[in-house]
Amino acid sequence: MSELKTTDKDQSALAHAKCILNRRKFLMYSGGIAAAASTVSITLFDGTAQAEIRKANVQGYPRKLIAKLSELKDHQPVNFNYPDDGKNSQAMIVKMGNVQAGGGVGSQRDVVAFSYICTHQGGPLQSTYKHVADQRVMGQCPLHLSTYDLRRHGIIVSGQAYQSLPQLLLEVEGDDVYAVGIMGLLFGRQDNLIA
Amino acid sequence: MSIDYYQAKDHAPLPPKNADVLTTACDYCIVACGYKVYRWPVAAKDGGMKAADNAFGVDFPGNMLQEWVAPTQHNICTYKGKKHNIVVIPDKDTNFVNTNGDSSIRGGLLAQKSYSADTKTKDRLKTPLVRINGVLTPMSWDDAIEIAAEVGKHVLKKHGEAAYGIKTFSYQYIENTYAVTKYALRHINTPNFTFHDTPAYVTSTPGFRDSGFDNFGPSYDDWGSAETLMICGTDPYETKTVLFTQHIMPGIANGMKVICLNPRETAGIAYINKMGGLHIDINPGSDNLVLGAITRVIMQNGWEDSDWIKKWVNNKWESNSGCGQGTRNTPWQWRTTWGKFQTKGYEDYKKWNLKQAEYDPKSAAEKASIDVKKIYQAAEWLAKPVNGKRPKTSIGIEKGFYWSNNTGNTNAISSLATICGAGGRPGQVLGRFGGHQRGGQKGGGYPRNKSAQKVPGRRRQALDTDRWLYSGHTRFAHVIGTTWIQSMPGSQGLAAKFEELVVKNPHQVKSNNKAEIIATLKKRADSGGMVVINQDIYLRDPIGAKFADVVFPAATWGEVDFMRANGERRLRLYQAFSDAPGEAKPDWEIISLLARKMGFDGFDWKNSNEVAEEASRFSRKGRKAFHMVKVAAHIEGKTLHQKMREMGTDGIQGPTMYNYKTGMLYGSKRLHDTTVGEKQFTAMGLSNGPVKENRYGKKMTHFNSQTGKINLQKHPWSLFGDLWEWLSPKKDELWMSNGRVNEVWQSGFDDVERRDYISQRWPGNWVEIHPEDAKKRGIESADMVMMYSDRVPVFKDTILGVHAKDFQFSELMKNGHIKLDKASISAIAIVTPTTKEGVMYANFLDMKQPNNSLTIRVPDNVSGNYNYKMGVGKVKKIGESEFKKDFRAMSFAPRNIT
Ligand code: SF4
Ligand code: FES
Repeated sequence: MSELKTTDKDQSALAHAKCILNRRKFLMYSGGIAAAASTVSITLFDGTAQAEIRKANVQGYPRKLIAKLSELKDHQPVNFNYPDDGKNSQAMIVKMGNVQAGGGVGSQRDVVAFSYICTHQGGPLQSTYKHVADQRVMGQCPLHLSTYDLRRHGIIVSGQAYQSLPQLLLEVEGDDVYAVGIMGLLFGRQDNLIA
Repeated sequence: MSIDYYQAKDHAPLPPKNADVLTTACDYCIVACGYKVYRWPVAAKDGGMKAADNAFGVDFPGNMLQEWVAPTQHNICTYKGKKHNIVVIPDKDTNFVNTNGDSSIRGGLLAQKSYSADTKTKDRLKTPLVRINGVLTPMSWDDAIEIAAEVGKHVLKKHGEAAYGIKTFSYQYIENTYAVTKYALRHINTPNFTFHDTPAYVTSTPGFRDSGFDNFGPSYDDWGSAETLMICGTDPYETKTVLFTQHIMPGIANGMKVICLNPRETAGIAYINKMGGLHIDINPGSDNLVLGAITRVIMQNGWEDSDWIKKWVNNKWESNSGCGQGTRNTPWQWRTTWGKFQTKGYEDYKKWNLKQAEYDPKSAAEKASIDVKKIYQAAEWLAKPVNGKRPKTSIGIEKGFYWSNNTGNTNAISSLATICGAGGRPGQVLGRFGGHQRGGQKGGGYPRNKSAQKVPGRRRQALDTDRWLYSGHTRFAHVIGTTWIQSMPGSQGLAAKFEELVVKNPHQVKSNNKAEIIATLKKRADSGGMVVINQDIYLRDPIGAKFADVVFPAATWGEVDFMRANGERRLRLYQAFSDAPGEAKPDWEIISLLARKMGFDGFDWKNSNEVAEEASRFSRKGRKAFHMVKVAAHIEGKTLHQKMREMGTDGIQGPTMYNYKTGMLYGSKRLHDTTVGEKQFTAMGLSNGPVKENRYGKKMTHFNSQTGKINLQKHPWSLFGDLWEWLSPKKDELWMSNGRVNEVWQSGFDDVERRDYISQRWPGNWVEIHPEDAKKRGIESADMVMMYSDRVPVFKDTILGVHAKDFQFSELMKNGHIKLDKASISAIAIVTPTTKEGVMYANFLDMKQPNNSLTIRVPDNVSGNYNYKMGVGKVKKIGESEFKKDFRAMSFAPRNIT
């Protein structure tokens, strides 16, 4: 596993907000063609709530280069920290072997990024990535066995957590993959951004 | 399917240093984890990231296992009419139960349970409602109570007590259940009474009772301190999660061997298997055969615990004395009139077991469709001495097991446990793991002699309230905190009967004049129809929404101080911390208003504590006797609730003892503890026997039979075998079993219906199908399927049994008492190897598509309990669900990935 630690602070997500928002809608909620058409009605990004959601998920988050698409190998997570190098920022990006996922990027939409910290009580999920047939999960958490579905935005498969595993919003520019935001609160923080 | 998607938040407030801190316990599963509630006004400042600036005294970001507030653990509620922040998180300081401050996803989301006008709880019932012109119309408490009481009185007078039916929760706090049972059993005195999960007032585990075991004797420690633990009919990780993570998992880490008897492999069982456990993946309902075979192997090898048996098993003369009250008139005795269960002791039992062809391991394995080696392996782990030392064995059971073959399975497990020496020593116990918490406190005795139902033998049997209603005898149905219809088998048929008796009756209320309303409802009852009154926190469909004539809004967890115990009899005070919605009142108060209007004495309590204090005297014989806490409280000049509040989340385990000399209160770690010695008695001040109000019953150190020893019982397969053979899947049918999943608690009024995160995880009814079965039927994950059957057997008549076999399924069938219903329900398919080939496993309580429609409505022929887990059906694809292409909701990842 390689570590990429380049934070491109100048290219903040905010600066890109205008052009990426539509794309992000599609990226995060790509449920095949049918769902892509219906993304507009999703609570998360619809109508007036949008501004607030944008604030919550994107505004203020660093835009951080975390991987190169061409270097990602199937089922080999690459570790990085996000949104900062402080406590509970450990995360990973993985290419899930051509199995499409909600929020996935890349030509197969199989590249996703998630927090490594279990949202139950902070258990470490490093080395728990698993692929079985067309299912992709993280878990069981070594502490109390929570398992998360990486194809479905980190929703709990079975277990204890109080919310989905935080998924990182990704953007692709050429071969570069950037993390630009987080869905959900990282364990142990009361705000994701605590600069 | 319309889903309100959960909106992930990336902020949650920390409670400030000066936030109010109250203790409570989880409202959901039996484990009853301890929780802390932090409350501060919205106008006040939130806590800060520095340890000195927040109520936890923790620097943020925090570490693994430290206090933390997930966004879903915060809510804004009213307290004394003002908006307050509420944070509900597991108590990190508790010394018991959820040590480490652990919690499951269910309890973890408790904050969202509390009423808030801005959340999905906004539809909580707030005023009494009376149905006028088909519409539930708000009405004053006085008028609504008067209507209910007048009609109730009329029904009692004109149609008798048995026409007044009461169906109530058994667990929703000691104060409420005491008031309800005092009203129902002592004052109305009706045999037409039962709890939410049974058709009749019967025990859940007849085999335990008749052998002499309490359901909840063990302490949670025992489940982790055995050397071999056998788990039957449940995955504790799914349904009593923290018992698994905090007690069983550490046991496994210490080398405890675990055997699971279960057709399914869910997350906990998968973990057990990964750690080297033994999974006996049986066909539904075949437990009895496998247990009989395991017991046989143990006996043939001479691995039985002879010392234990010699000391603690009743011989012929001793077992003749049954469970007390002399040899004749006891439940145990009347059930055993024909020697079906009674043995003369170990040798007699052994002889019987060896004679039964079905307990030959090969034959048992075949019927259960398991590898026969597992039977031998289990026998070894349970009982084979290693280097001359017997393994310490414990056995825990739950509904998948005792709701499959109620009498047969519970008899068989009691015998197996006793032969292994499990039952009365630390780490060597037998008990239920439990479902709901234990909040029942009886305020009256069940009038058995008024029941119109009798099995062959001497005694009357508790009335089957469903069958009684089916036959049109219930004229007034008083329903408290249960959906009744969906939670009983053959639900679709029961709903149709309600419709006929209530809605289709010509006497419907058309005016808002009180006298006219009362007159109309009386006419309905007199014409053979039925009037329904309903107490609940939400309007439940259909019992409230379609059928109730009067609805009373109830206050619940976190709104009133209540007491309750958990699966190790640990009593705690569940404190009020926010306002109940509108005019909602606790159920005890609703009952007191109704009772006084009916003209009954002894219902004028002023607050919850007064009810608890009155109830304490009646708790003394029970497993959660809390009377001595009251005694101690009064000596200290406190109320019972005050004293309980001081004990916080640690609480105290019933039965409780009080040392009048030292002023110390003592709880009881386990029942039937044969190792309790002089030292403990001296500490409790009881070395010369019980002092003053203390009671130290036989069950503390012995078993619940006349002699205090165990009745080793037979467990004939034949009582159930004819039904099982008839039911077994024919042609393209599959077994249909059902149960819960970790993420959802019981009826789902809090979680699937009002928490977006959980509705997103479980957006609709679902069924697990094994990949091989799915392939044959062209079914893939996320397809919509229909499960259907034209073989749902319904026992429809209330009969008086005369001959020994009258209640045997094949006899009922022959005599025309069984009707075959049709039912069908649809669901989202989850194709997964977690369920056994040939077995479908469905959500047990989808409110719109109750899987119970397909389960058998034939009560166990000895106990009168339902075997809810048994059913068969066909399945076919009817289309695709949106989740096939949409990744936002649901998950199809198997639950057994480790
Ligand atoms: S394990 Fe049971 S009691 Fe504990 S938090 Fe979960 S539901 Fe509540
Ligand atoms: S910390 Fe991961 S399941 Fe508890």
